[in-house]
Amino acid sequence: MTVIDLITRVDAICKKYEKYDIDKQKEANVAGGDDAFARLYSVFETQVDAIIQKSEAVATEKNRATAVAMNAEVRRTKARLLEEIPKLQRLTQKKVKGISKEELEARNDLVFALKDKIEAISDGSTAATKQSTGGWATSSSYTGIKIDSSSDGRFDSEYFQQTEESDRFRQEYEMRRMKQDQGLEVIAEGLDTLKNMAHDMNEELDRQVPLMDEIDDKVDRAASDLKSTNVRLKDTVHKLRSSRNFCIDIILLCIILGIAAFLYKQVF
Amino acid sequence: MSSSNPNKLISKADKLTKLSLTRWSADWKSATLLYEQAANGFRVSRDYEKAKLAFEKASKGQEMLSSPWDAAKHMESAAALAKELRNWTEVIDFYRRASEQYMQCDRPQPASDSLAKAARALEDALPDDAVQLYTDACVILEDDGKEQMAFDLYRAAASIYVKLEKYTDAATFLLRLGLAADKCDARNSQCKAYLSAIIVYLYAHDLQQAEKCYNDCSQIDAFLSSDQNRCASKLLSAYREGDVEEIKLVAQSSTISNLENVIIKLARKLPTGDVAKMQGDADKGGEEALDENDLT
Repeated sequence: MTVIDLITRVDAICKKYEKYDIDKQKEANVAGGDDAFARLYSVFETQVDAIIQKSEAVATEKNRATAVAMNAEVRRTKARLLEEIPKLQRLTQKKVKGISKEELEARNDLVFALKDKIEAISDGSTAATKQSTGGWATSSSYTGIKIDSSSDGRFDSEYFQQTEESDRFRQEYEMRRMKQDQGLEVIAEGLDTLKNMAHDMNEELDRQVPLMDEIDDKVDRAASDLKSTNVRLKDTVHKLRSSRNFCIDIILLCIILGIAAFLYKQVF
Repeated sequence: MSSSNPNKLISKADKLTKLSLTRWSADWKSATLLYEQAANGFRVSRDYEKAKLAFEKASKGQEMLSSPWDAAKHMESAAALAKELRNWTEVIDFYRRASEQYMQCDRPQPASDSLAKAARALEDALPDDAVQLYTDACVILEDDGKEQMAFDLYRAAASIYVKLEKYTDAATFLLRLGLAADKCDARNSQCKAYLSAIIVYLYAHDLQQAEKCYNDCSQIDAFLSSDQNRCASKLLSAYREGDVEEIKLVAQSSTISNLENVIIKLARKLPTGDVAKMQGDADKGGEEALDENDLT
């Protein structure tokens, strides 16, 4: 660990445990006793420092999930603070005992400076581009971190430090998006054609339904006609050449022949 | 019998049907049979003129035997042969008679079929008569309540009108097609018909008519919620702004490519004439309307 790291760490620790610094607290309390503005201002300052610390931690965070979570926190607190700024501004107008006029005006400036400071805190949208882009695996995961498209505008602002890697990366992203769009267009056209064909087929089938019904009726009628005709035919053939009648015919014929033979015998 | 000379058969049959001292009533049955055989023989030997005559006589024979179906069938064959001979008046005549005979049998569909065949044959030679025949065929089908079959006929009639460059008539036919489609709940055909009508009006350089047509069609729910509606509105707004590139872009879109071939050709040729001028006319028309309102 280098000396500079040590120093920054010590500073961070001191800041963190400032609330245990009794002397400083007394001072702040005494000052803030009658002055609502000063109290609120100090609260604001502590919160802003906390956020700055967090956002710096995000920059060094390797685990993407925790980075995203911390970014979200940072954004949330930023939004909350920005909401409270108007309250602070209203307090600057109040006159307080023991404070000179110049100080009052200075307070207004202080408020504005605080506002800028809050907005300057980097949250995930700009931090992602600042980070080293060499470590990302695919462009699709990169687009996964960009949560809203408004951050596109940020690219042109001064917060965006253009590194060569991010530039190349952005180009690749644009190329892939264009190719995707082209592919989607081809698919859309194909689907249009399919839809049209399906509709036409639907109408054609609708057209044929009544025809099929007619065919059905006619074939039914023809079938029943055939059936009745068959039955009648069978009856007729039965009557003409039934096997029983046939046997009876043969027997009667034999009897007649027998009688004829008998008579013949009788004569001769 | 069929192998013997068809001429001989015809003369024999004629003798059977001619009334004279020895013959008090014509023997149509055998005569018709002979006529049919003769006609087939002539057709095989490609003697179209005689074959046509034979079919005519056979048809008359069937009529006498009170079987209009067979009579109509023979008439159709005669008409087909007349088409080969390019005898257009006879074609129309024969097909109309066949259609009447089909109606006698209470079969409207073959009736309209025969009229449609006639119209198709006449498309190049006598387009006006062809359109008339198509209209009659559509009327027959609509009376029978079978509008679905009429779609193709309407489309063919509209394309003939477009060929004749009678664009208002073509658009009218397309709107009639839309009406028929509405009756049988064929939404896709209906919307396509309306879009085609709008394109025809635009091709005829008539923006007001096109807009009127669009407004009329927007009253219909089925059209309002369809792809074709969006395409039409895009086209009309491109026209109103006078944006030639936009018009060309819309004309290339897939919605228009799903319409009839004739209409696609028209759409690709859009915009005809000066779009800016049309825009000015449209605005002027609007202003005039305002003035009238002010006066009253």
